[in-house]
Amino acid sequence: MSHTLVVDGRPREVDVAGLPSLAAVLREQLHLTAAKVACGRGECGACTVLVGGRPTMSCITPAVLVREPVETSEGLADESRDLREHFADTGAFQCGFCTPGQVVHACALLRAGLPADDGARREHVRHALSGNICRCTGYQAIVDSVCSVADERPEVHS
Amino acid sequence: MSWVGARVRPIDWDARTSGRTPFTADLPGEHLVGAVLRSPHPYAEVRSVDTRTARAMPGVHAVITAADFAPGARYVHRGGPLSDRPPLADGVVRHVGQEVAAVAAETPEQALAAVRAIRVRYRVRRAPLTTAESRARGARRLHVRTTDEANVSMRLDTVWGDADGGRDAATVSVTGGFSYPSVSHACMEPNTTLAVWHSDHVELWTSTQSPWFLAKEVSQLLGIDHDDVVIREVATGGGFGSKSKASEHEVLAAALARAARRPVLLALSREEELGANKPRHRFATTLATHADADGVLRALDADIAVDNGSYNHMGTSVMRVGVITLGSMYRPDGVAFTARLVDTATQPGGQFRGYGTPQVSLAMESQVDEIAERLGIDPIDLRLRNLAPEHAETLCGYRVGTNRLGDCLVAVRDGLDWEGARPSSGPVARGRGVAAGSHGSGAYAYEFANRSDAAVDLSDDGRVQVRHGGSDAGTGQNTILAQIAADELGVDLADVSVLSIDTERTPFELGAWSSRGTHMTGSSVGQAARELGDRLRALAAEKLGVAADAVTLSGGRARAGDEDVELGDLVGLADDARDGVLSHESSYLLEGTEMLTPDRDRANLSPSYAFAAHGAVVDVDRRTGAVHVVDYLAAHDVGRAINPTAVEGQIVGGAVMGLGAALGEELVREGGRVVPTSYLHYALPRNADVPRVRAHIVDNHEAAGPYGAKSVGEMSIVPPGAAVANAVADAVGVRIRDLPITPDKVLTALAEQEGRRRRHHVWRRPSRWWIAAIRALYPLGLHHVLDRYGTRLGPARRMRARPPAPAPQVHVATGLDDALTALAAPGAQALGGGTDVLPDRARQPRPAPVLVATTAVTELRRLAVVGNALHVGGAVTLAELAAHPSVPTALATAIDTIASPQIRNSATVAGNLVQAKRCWFFRNGFDCYKRNGPTSPCYAVLGDHRFQHAAVDGHRCQAVTPSDLGTVLPALDAVLVLVGPGGARREVPAAEFYSGPGETVLADGELVLEVRIPLVAGRRSVATKLGLYTGDFATAAAALSVVVGADGTWHDVRLVLGALAPTPWRLTAVETALRGTRPDVATVRRLVDAELDRHAHPLPRNGWKLDAAAGLVEQAVEQILEP
Ligand code: FES
Ligand code: FES
Repeated sequence: MSHTLVVDGRPREVDVAGLPSLAAVLREQLHLTAAKVACGRGECGACTVLVGGRPTMSCITPAVLVREPVETSEGLADESRDLREHFADTGAFQCGFCTPGQVVHACALLRAGLPADDGARREHVRHALSGNICRCTGYQAIVDSVCSVADERPEVHS
Repeated sequence: MSWVGARVRPIDWDARTSGRTPFTADLPGEHLVGAVLRSPHPYAEVRSVDTRTARAMPGVHAVITAADFAPGARYVHRGGPLSDRPPLADGVVRHVGQEVAAVAAETPEQALAAVRAIRVRYRVRRAPLTTAESRARGARRLHVRTTDEANVSMRLDTVWGDADGGRDAATVSVTGGFSYPSVSHACMEPNTTLAVWHSDHVELWTSTQSPWFLAKEVSQLLGIDHDDVVIREVATGGGFGSKSKASEHEVLAAALARAARRPVLLALSREEELGANKPRHRFATTLATHADADGVLRALDADIAVDNGSYNHMGTSVMRVGVITLGSMYRPDGVAFTARLVDTATQPGGQFRGYGTPQVSLAMESQVDEIAERLGIDPIDLRLRNLAPEHAETLCGYRVGTNRLGDCLVAVRDGLDWEGARPSSGPVARGRGVAAGSHGSGAYAYEFANRSDAAVDLSDDGRVQVRHGGSDAGTGQNTILAQIAADELGVDLADVSVLSIDTERTPFELGAWSSRGTHMTGSSVGQAARELGDRLRALAAEKLGVAADAVTLSGGRARAGDEDVELGDLVGLADDARDGVLSHESSYLLEGTEMLTPDRDRANLSPSYAFAAHGAVVDVDRRTGAVHVVDYLAAHDVGRAINPTAVEGQIVGGAVMGLGAALGEELVREGGRVVPTSYLHYALPRNADVPRVRAHIVDNHEAAGPYGAKSVGEMSIVPPGAAVANAVADAVGVRIRDLPITPDKVLTALAEQEGRRRRHHVWRRPSRWWIAAIRALYPLGLHHVLDRYGTRLGPARRMRARPPAPAPQVHVATGLDDALTALAAPGAQALGGGTDVLPDRARQPRPAPVLVATTAVTELRRLAVVGNALHVGGAVTLAELAAHPSVPTALATAIDTIASPQIRNSATVAGNLVQAKRCWFFRNGFDCYKRNGPTSPCYAVLGDHRFQHAAVDGHRCQAVTPSDLGTVLPALDAVLVLVGPGGARREVPAAEFYSGPGETVLADGELVLEVRIPLVAGRRSVATKLGLYTGDFATAAAALSVVVGADGTWHDVRLVLGALAPTPWRLTAVETALRGTRPDVATVRRLVDAELDRHAHPLPRNGWKLDAAAGLVEQAVEQILEP
């Protein structure tokens, strides 16, 4: 059973027989393995991709129901470069398993714009990223990185 | 440039952050899929395992059982009589989740079907599940042990120093029992192994911290040579100790690959990770601390029971390291302890960051504070008085070099608002606490643990490769080794790469455990690089015609005076260079450390010792029992930080993991089986739960360490438990000795402190007699009978013996009529965002064969203000609703607390309302009354019902309705429009939508068309909620809406409590009493309390939820009064 997904700007024919999740289709059929599956139940955020620009748990999203464009960590590598550099500079990743999910989610936050006030911005980011579990870093550097990038990208404020 | 000491980026940052670094499950190539059959029983004799049907199933290539290993095969682990764990159960299963058989098939579905087709005949036996049961008279002995006590695997009776003299000299003593829970590493990467069997060796890609130990176990279990297990480099997604010894997936994958003659990938599910892997050992520590009038600790007496679980998976070492805590940091005259490693029929404990230190430290550091309080001495001052001297031996035999614990304590005092005012009146009390800790830098725990080999290669293009046999599971080890090599060879860090893990291409090294990575591989890589540098200097000297000591290495060149030569050009001059690469291997041998042996209970295990002091500032909400850490400072003596950013990462990461165990995490068990087998029910810290955690590195240089460094990885998880417990005691004056410090414990202790007791007079309420009688019968045998025999009659058991249900048909409805027609088919179920329906399917005895997707139905997607109401279509997502400008405050607030933004982007309003009931027994696969029918028990009656179950109106099922919208909508007087077959519509007030816990009045084939929320001028609405982590379901919730008149009088009051009764509970009597009044917080509280007392019928351990709910109402009233 064939279905067309637009992934990172390219239309892709995928097989959706057996109700595969979007994560399974990305990983197994399209070999886009940056989205990780750590729980498969929508509870950890490791599989986060953007669907129609919205952060979505790809592990519990049936691929057959996806009608809007999908953006993955692979496709967002350039857009997220400054953020990823901050991740590297501040210790915002250790093992890196949760990291593509964090980065993808943060891309959407930065696109949407963050509060200009430091404290409010930090609160906003902490709360928004609470669906992305990281067991390694204790989150501080992740939040710092997203907030710093918001400062540096002139267009990011709301 | 000096790389050592610099804040450099992880060398592979670009690939790791973009997701290009492959983990085992990401590797390309064809392979079979493995799956494991696990024991459903805590203890049973295995009469027979019949694999014939499974073997004959389509796609199945291998089925293995104990018979595929040598008779009596055991993991070695600590060796000798302590080796007791078979690779697959042989004759007896001793814990729920123990591996019985494994299969390899072409698809996951085929593998699961084959697992279900294996027929095992068990003879179930009673067995002790807790250390107390194990030590009780007549308890079944799980193993033959060498101690003279039943179920005691190891016992230590030790006195260090003059404990008697110390006790005599003391003037103040405190005694108490402390427990530190069993918690999961919860590494984000599920344990995964890819095994490829070749004719003469097996190749493994696997999540590991210690390839050498893994090869040792796999080879001996498979009966092949150590060198014939070749482990290849692949990323490891977190370890925290769990991967420092062999688990099971590695050898099972290898054995399956051997049997199938095909590559096999075996990945644990999250459920297996939480439910069957090897967590932290639970410690129950009874401690007495004795001090003199000056606050100097004189003696410690401890009696410790360590829950070993069912096998010796390193429990002996964990216990030894744990008790060492008592004699390693301060300088009492003496320490006396008895420690028992107690077998229980539960999953075996494993190695976890900190080993036993966090557990014992909780007791010791809590009592140091109790002593401080008794003597009226500041807790930091008291610790400063008890510092052990530098360069001296401790009671436990450590020969400590540098010790900057004093500086760490001072840093906490200076860095936190230590002396600041701490309001203790008012609903939120503030407190601060400190705890100290120490940890070694590696341990001489095995033969050769004092040795590390490493190699450094220089290519003729000038690039350097470091090769070591350890594994960087996220600690940054590879980066610091590259920094070291870059410095020794004078090259740019960008020109250094690191090869780790690969057992064929790296020299001997025992791996990353016991915080040994920095010291051992830092030393060996430094030594190898230095020696290679000497070689290069000699080659350059010859080429340039100068003396070797005139040559320096820098900028990728060898320089002497004005002349220089590129390092790469020297490679060709070396007669032992091969293929353009000059390699040098070196072996570092650590001197001066000692092993613990049966007749030696004091030893200098480690080359250096790290120290830390952590300070926490907490707010304790007396209304809800919630503890919020508002500031946290972790000051560490790590010697010199080779990469300060990486060190800070270890400090913050470890501290936050420790905060998880302090405040929320616990592998609660029921009947020996882990209950929270999903992240959903496991309260590990989420981003917003974590305060600002600040790392502080005190200035130091440790002569014994490489480049002045000591360890850090484990140190950081030791102090948080006591730091938080001490802060809570400071805030509200109650001392919690059992972690985690969850709101139930705080509120229960506060109620006791204030002498409050609720009386429910159930004997006066005939409607509750029947339920009270059933509950009373549960512990008298009813539970046992229902659990043991009744569950067999339900459908769930049979379901698990059948192949998994085929994937459902999905009908993507194009319009409302289409959806209703499709839903009329038998067994059809509506599918919104899928966030609840899909994960729950695996648990359903009869999952729906047809799913009707509603998200494309325009009639269900309407979101608009119509007249004086907001109309919300059933398939509108939670995020869309929250973003609507007219959404009432209570609704927006409530939605913001639901799950995560990702879920709110997918989950629909109707889906939220009709989601499956919230009960961790029901959701995690227990064959309970609701899942499996009336002959099955409700596991919540006797099981852990503190957070999720009804305290009001519970019947045979104690679950509650989980929907937060379900709580808020009745408070907003909302009406649900339902549409059924043929388009028939009916309106149901939100308050009448639920008929039971998570059960609704929806008829077959009916949908929630829309929710109509009246928009009332002047209405204020608020929602408050208590959960265990950000995004958790409500443990208790309140929704209040009021129209406040100009004079402050309340009209149109609606008050609903959620998660307290099976369905959202409207407090109509309170509403009536408040109407037309101008109430204050205390008045409302009084009314609510009276109503709670009148109706509640709590279970033994969830009465605190009534207090919490009343507290949430107080918060709500405050918000109404001060908008
Ligand atoms: S893997 Fe998708 S949320 Fe955990
Ligand atoms: S970096 Fe390891 S889980 Fe986040």
